[in-house]
Amino acid sequence: MENNTKDFTELTCTNLMIKLKILLNRLPNGDSVRFLATREQVDNTCTPFSGQGYRVSWDQRGENQFLVQIGR
Amino acid sequence: MGYSTFLFCDPVSAERAGWFSGVMQEAASTVSGESQVNVTVFLTGDALFSLVDSRSRSSWNRIGDLPSVRIIADGDELRLQGLLHSVSSQAQEIHITGGGEHDPFWECVVSTLKTHRPGMKRAAFLLCNSPYMSRVPVYMLRFFSRVQKAGLVPEMYNYLDGVHTLHNGQRPSEFENIGRGVSALANSGALSGRDTWFAACSRCATARGYYQMNPGTGFCEPASCIQEIAIRPLKEILARFFQDHPIVSHFSGECVLDERAKDAPHLVVFITSPPYCSEWTFGGLSLAVAAAMDGMRTTVVFIEDGVFALHGTHDVPENDKIFNIQEMVAVTTDVGCLRYFVHSPSLNERGIAVSDDFSLIRKVSDAGLASILFGKEPGEHSPIVRMIFF
Repeated sequence: MENNTKDFTELTCTNLMIKLKILLNRLPNGDSVRFLATREQVDNTCTPFSGQGYRVSWDQRGENQFLVQIGR
Repeated sequence: MGYSTFLFCDPVSAERAGWFSGVMQEAASTVSGESQVNVTVFLTGDALFSLVDSRSRSSWNRIGDLPSVRIIADGDELRLQGLLHSVSSQAQEIHITGGGEHDPFWECVVSTLKTHRPGMKRAAFLLCNSPYMSRVPVYMLRFFSRVQKAGLVPEMYNYLDGVHTLHNGQRPSEFENIGRGVSALANSGALSGRDTWFAACSRCATARGYYQMNPGTGFCEPASCIQEIAIRPLKEILARFFQDHPIVSHFSGECVLDERAKDAPHLVVFITSPPYCSEWTFGGLSLAVAAAMDGMRTTVVFIEDGVFALHGTHDVPENDKIFNIQEMVAVTTDVGCLRYFVHSPSLNERGIAVSDDFSLIRKVSDAGLASILFGKEPGEHSPIVRMIFF
């Protein structure tokens, strides 16, 4: 795993949403958070942030593991 | 006419007995006639000690004096705890179950719940306590035994330490085998054509090692688990909460104002513990937020030691892997179906105030709580209210 990349694969979708809202509230403009997530988390929790003014992208790293980046 | 049922298995502190008495008296004084709510309070386990404890006894006397309230104590547990004589002689307003029949207390619980819902087909237990360390799983098995005898389907939701029920190979030398009891229930349900629905929260199961990642597939699989309980995301378990069947727990209640209404029940979560040294607060909040995000009308009440979650400014050290409860609350105030309240008498009793960051969280008195719990809030329609204490 790359430096500063957190593994959120074991969080529920709700707790991941809460975690991301906390992290994104603290995030300076132009910065981003990077973390590992499962397919379900990407679909249910990460993607909806794109509708709230955030840039959301991901790369598949394993069978059920995605490196997600969300930034302002 | 409405009906309300409470089941208390855990200790009832003087503080809890006091505010509960206040809520009951407020409810009795503000509603009457057609809108009256008949309340039944079932007490078993450690809750029974509050009937003889001088710090809480007077509160129970006040509740018992209300004509709309019936208090029923588990006679078998009173005998076990050596309280039968003192309770029967001191507290005339307490009904004590007992006699020749096996488990009359739990039969009474199930029949009371069933009376309030003529078409009831299932009954659930949210189990948050682990076997052997707690006796609550024993009560759950007794409850389910009566549920099956009443021709209903048992549903078990294992949450927090309740997921330890999953562990296979349980072999207690002195206690009732909970794993075997769960398996027996599932088998008898299958034989009678009424399959049980037993599920454990995947987050809680993963944390405790019962749901492990298979590196080959990237997906989690059950490890050392009995087969009768499926591991499911909390979201799937909460989907059952949208149905109107009763869900009891170690400390729980419900108010049924219209059993024919099709609206999803209103969920009220009481946060009663300090924020960090146990999983109760995080677990209660997680469940409440998840329910609200799925569209369930949800109310969180910080009460008793739960009010410490809103006091001061919490600063989680960088190296401490724990959710900051205050941040969790702050970022979820915009969830549409979710409301937060703080019990002002609990704040006053502790001599603390809510942090300025949470000044918008509404304060609620015993009278306000009575309105929430008994579905009497102006402009709100709650045919069924479920209450769970964390």
